[in-house]
Amino acid sequence: MSMKEYLKDRTIFLLINFILFTVICGIMLLINISTSIIFLIFFIWFFPIFTYITIEFTKQKILYNELNSIMDNLDKKYLLAEIMKEPDHIEGKLLYDLLRQANKEMHEHVKNYRDRENEYREYIETWVHEIKTPIASTRLIIENNQNHITRNIKDEIKKIEEYIEQVLYYSRSNNVSKDYLIKEVSLADLVRSVIKRNSRDFISKGITIDIEGVEGTVYSDAKWLEFILNQLIGNATKYNRERDGRVTIDSVRNENNIILTIEDNGIGILDKDINRVFEKGFTGENGRKFGESTGIGLYLCKKLADQLGLGLVLESDAGEGTKVSIIFPLGGINLMC
Amino acid sequence: MARIVIIEDTEKIREELKTFLIRYGYEVAAPTNFEDIIKDTLKEEPDLILLDINLPVFDGYYICREIRKNSDVPIIVVTSRDSEMDELMSMNLGADDFITKPYNTQILMARIETILRRVNGSSIRDTIVYNDLEFNLSNGSVKYKGKIAELTKNEIKILSCLYKNKGKIVSRDDLMDFMWNEDVFVDDNNLSVNVTRLRKKLEGLGMKKNIETRRGLGYILP
Repeated sequence: MSMKEYLKDRTIFLLINFILFTVICGIMLLINISTSIIFLIFFIWFFPIFTYITIEFTKQKILYNELNSIMDNLDKKYLLAEIMKEPDHIEGKLLYDLLRQANKEMHEHVKNYRDRENEYREYIETWVHEIKTPIASTRLIIENNQNHITRNIKDEIKKIEEYIEQVLYYSRSNNVSKDYLIKEVSLADLVRSVIKRNSRDFISKGITIDIEGVEGTVYSDAKWLEFILNQLIGNATKYNRERDGRVTIDSVRNENNIILTIEDNGIGILDKDINRVFEKGFTGENGRKFGESTGIGLYLCKKLADQLGLGLVLESDAGEGTKVSIIFPLGGINLMC
Repeated sequence: MARIVIIEDTEKIREELKTFLIRYGYEVAAPTNFEDIIKDTLKEEPDLILLDINLPVFDGYYICREIRKNSDVPIIVVTSRDSEMDELMSMNLGADDFITKPYNTQILMARIETILRRVNGSSIRDTIVYNDLEFNLSNGSVKYKGKIAELTKNEIKILSCLYKNKGKIVSRDDLMDFMWNEDVFVDDNNLSVNVTRLRKKLEGLGMKKNIETRRGLGYILP
């Protein structure tokens, strides 16, 4: 706020005063009143006005400067009304009250949505736990009655379980703090357990796996990591070739990070699709060809990786294969021993 | 044989788990009255307890704590709650292991075997005998009529899987499943090579009748 703008705001008031003064001045000149008296009257007339305007301007300027600086330093800008001091003049007070009221309403509004979201999330969590019971019994029934029919059902059950897990992590992905436990994770153990989970796919498609190079430990949340890795390895087997498929998992330790790479020699991703693979709902050419693609898997991986502070990079040549790297920065929460 | 008590309120799971464990040669009790579950369980004098968390009357944590007051019997918590907190809780209350539903039955079996072996210490059978073949699991060697041969890790797994199912045809897929579960990620070609080598080793010892191939079906140790 500058003086110029402030005066501009009061143009009409000042203009009226000047016109009135000019008129009176003209009358005074006509009846031969000396110019010194006219100057005196001008002074008496305008000195209080300008003093008043200057004081008011300073007051306003102080108030708004303060508000602006609070606003600049505030992380959550909507908390302005909570933080600002109550102004001591009437206009400021009115504005302050209105701001507070609006704020309060807004908080209630937001709270309403937050409650609804939490409720929904809680429901999803309960649902996921409940559906695990019938799945567990189905698995046992299959185990007790093994033949080629139940083996097929078992494969389908595995898919159902993956979709259910996806739902769970999707609902958790917006609120990482709740279910998050950082501890030492051995990469080799992690990779082995995910490969075991996917062993049927590797075996039935005849895909060779090589994990000899995986070593080292990182500090992260094991469950979330397992979910991410499961999605990536699932993709590596799903978008693989008909014969001689190969998945190589390796780890490299650099000066300031550890990189875990999952590389396949599968169908790869077209150049026009590659930049969009982490977008929600994006399925691309491979999705159209293979079906059964939801466009959620990689999106979730990226989101969870971001929350865990991990990098996720995907490179691919169509027809040659795909390479995904999970980057564990050293230091901070992923500090390595 | 080891006696396992299943504390589980879902009838289907309880019954199927019972069938499953009985099939693997365990004695199984699965109480259905949850009012006196702790007393009933201890009365069974189990060698191991499989414990669910979400139960009527008392929850699994309480049961776990109460059993620990009177007994050191190994407890495996089996639950659909999969958060780290639940795992931590169970361990703090004295559970020996924690498995989340829906579990892989092979993994469940492996954990049960591991814990029982740890508790019973000495009773590990480290030599199995098939006809005149002595198979030493601890150093991976086979002995036939005085002659000894060393087996590789993969060959040990193959032989022990076929031995467990002796007299039955084991399909290549099942054999692969077994190996992958044991952290040996062989592919199709590797498996054939390994089986061939194993067979040669056994023949080299003079054991003419060993692993047979049933074309299109799998392998069998008759």
